[in-house]
Amino acid sequence: MTAPLAPSFDGVTPVLPAPDPVDPAVRLAHVTKRYGSGPVVLDDVSLDIAPGEFVCLLGASGCGKSTLLNLIAGLEPVSAGTLTAPPEGAAVMFQDAALMPWLSARRNVELALRLRGVPRAERRAEALRLLGIVNLADAADKRPHELSGGMRQRVALARALAQDRPVLLMDEPFAALDAITRDLLHEVLENVWRETGRTIVFVTHNVREAARLGERVVLLGSRPGRISREWRVARTRGRRIESPEVSALAAEITVELRKEIRRNAS
Amino acid sequence: MPLENTVPASGSLSDDARSLPSGSLSEDERSETETKRGPLAGGRDGTSHPRLAPAAPGLAQRPHGELEGLDRLQTVEIGSASRTRERLRAVLPPVGLLVLLLAAWQLYIVIAQPRPDKAPSPAQVLGALGDAWQSGRLQESVLTSLERGGIGFVVAIAVGTPLGLLLAEWKLLRRAAGPLISGLQVLPSVAWVPAAIIWFGLSDATAYFVILMGAIPSIVNGLLAGIDQVPPQLRRVGTVLGAGRLQAATAIVLPAALPGYLAGLKQGWAFSWRSLMAAEIITTGGSIGFGLGTMLDQSRELADLPGVLATIILILAIGILIELALFAPIERAVLRRRGLLLGGA
Repeated sequence: MTAPLAPSFDGVTPVLPAPDPVDPAVRLAHVTKRYGSGPVVLDDVSLDIAPGEFVCLLGASGCGKSTLLNLIAGLEPVSAGTLTAPPEGAAVMFQDAALMPWLSARRNVELALRLRGVPRAERRAEALRLLGIVNLADAADKRPHELSGGMRQRVALARALAQDRPVLLMDEPFAALDAITRDLLHEVLENVWRETGRTIVFVTHNVREAARLGERVVLLGSRPGRISREWRVARTRGRRIESPEVSALAAEITVELRKEIRRNAS
Repeated sequence: MPLENTVPASGSLSDDARSLPSGSLSEDERSETETKRGPLAGGRDGTSHPRLAPAAPGLAQRPHGELEGLDRLQTVEIGSASRTRERLRAVLPPVGLLVLLLAAWQLYIVIAQPRPDKAPSPAQVLGALGDAWQSGRLQESVLTSLERGGIGFVVAIAVGTPLGLLLAEWKLLRRAAGPLISGLQVLPSVAWVPAAIIWFGLSDATAYFVILMGAIPSIVNGLLAGIDQVPPQLRRVGTVLGAGRLQAATAIVLPAALPGYLAGLKQGWAFSWRSLMAAEIITTGGSIGFGLGTMLDQSRELADLPGVLATIILILAIGILIELALFAPIERAVLRRRGLLLGGA
């Protein structure tokens, strides 16, 4: 662990011992990113993400959290430092479901399977199984425009699962959804995480969402983006968006986030 | 609960999962044993490929009912109005307008009584059509023109499509040739007729050449516009899903560009048909066959206005028919599939 660990927010749970024996799924060591000769977007970011961990990257708009995600996804090169990610790459989910509008939900998932090299004969059943995970088996033959925003995002999640990569990167996937849908999708995502053991890196600007979902919440400061603090959540089971411990953590994070934003004003 | 005890595919709840009170913490404790998930645990011990393990029945059971309810609330069932009603609503207005125009025409003839050689009545024009049918000239000319137009159009597709793909992929070529292709689209292809006559004489080659010069730029431009308008997000998805260049082109870019391509094809056909008529009117004689344009020109030479009007109506009708019978259904189907058609019901 390179970044100093802040004490756990409840003050009771001891900070976990360093996870050295396990190789991290993603390791960023002194990663810096700038576009051309523009300003530094990410400055000396070091972060180890353990396999199976659920990490929320939190920050104000424009702090470079999406850039960080793109770096991990391999969509953009790092300017300096080293980034170690699984060789098979990562699955990515965007804010926009970005489903192929001419394909049904099932065919969208099948497309990912096809590009992964799954034989044709197995694709259909596998796609239906994945849609079942996100409770959409009944809507398999609907086209994206016939689905609600939340359903589209679930198809996108099923498609990301179809890639079968150990790391799932999510770039504000629920930001455009209404609150109730978002709550329910949090539960779907949490279940998927528990069942599949995937490493999830979840970018969001929503403090409560981060406190609700994350096993670890990493706060990014802005301009240049660097890690300003992080929190670990010891008990991740049974959390709801309205749980008191989620509210408490969210309040604590909000204080830090505001400090971080004020720092930019001066 | 061991992982083997799972239901495949459908994701339905197993009986023991159903019997559990939904939302209670007991589920969570129960599942604690089935998936070992310390915060920093390796995550994938036990089965060799846990990520491919079928969805366990415990999965997503808590939000199940609520999700279903929300899904039902948030999706609108598109009511399927009866097909015949839909057809009637599409067909009645244009037919009504046609009847009205004919009535106005007839009324003008009755009231103003113009010279019949300058303003024939609808009945005279219909008579001219009947005569052409009786003599077989109508069938011959329609067949000749349609055959030429069809073959020319197919060749134009065969040439224009790869050309458009090449231009879309090869940026330098695009920058170099783009303005030229756009310019060719603006140039009336009739302008090529004199040159074509000098090159190819009064033969079918002249007609085909003019058709190609009219249709290919439209098809190329339509395809380019379609490819340009592919949402960048879809391309990114292709990259993320691991699509190679060729796979991205065939599985994502081309299908996404289909509406633009279709629009280009439609315009390409319109340009082919126009160019062909112009070519046929100008080039008569030689080895060139008897097409609709030829018939039009012959009627003019005979000062046969009913014949001229009858041919014009025929040319127009064929254009409309092909649009309605060929392009409109394809376009509607494509747009409807993508939810781009308003008033699908």
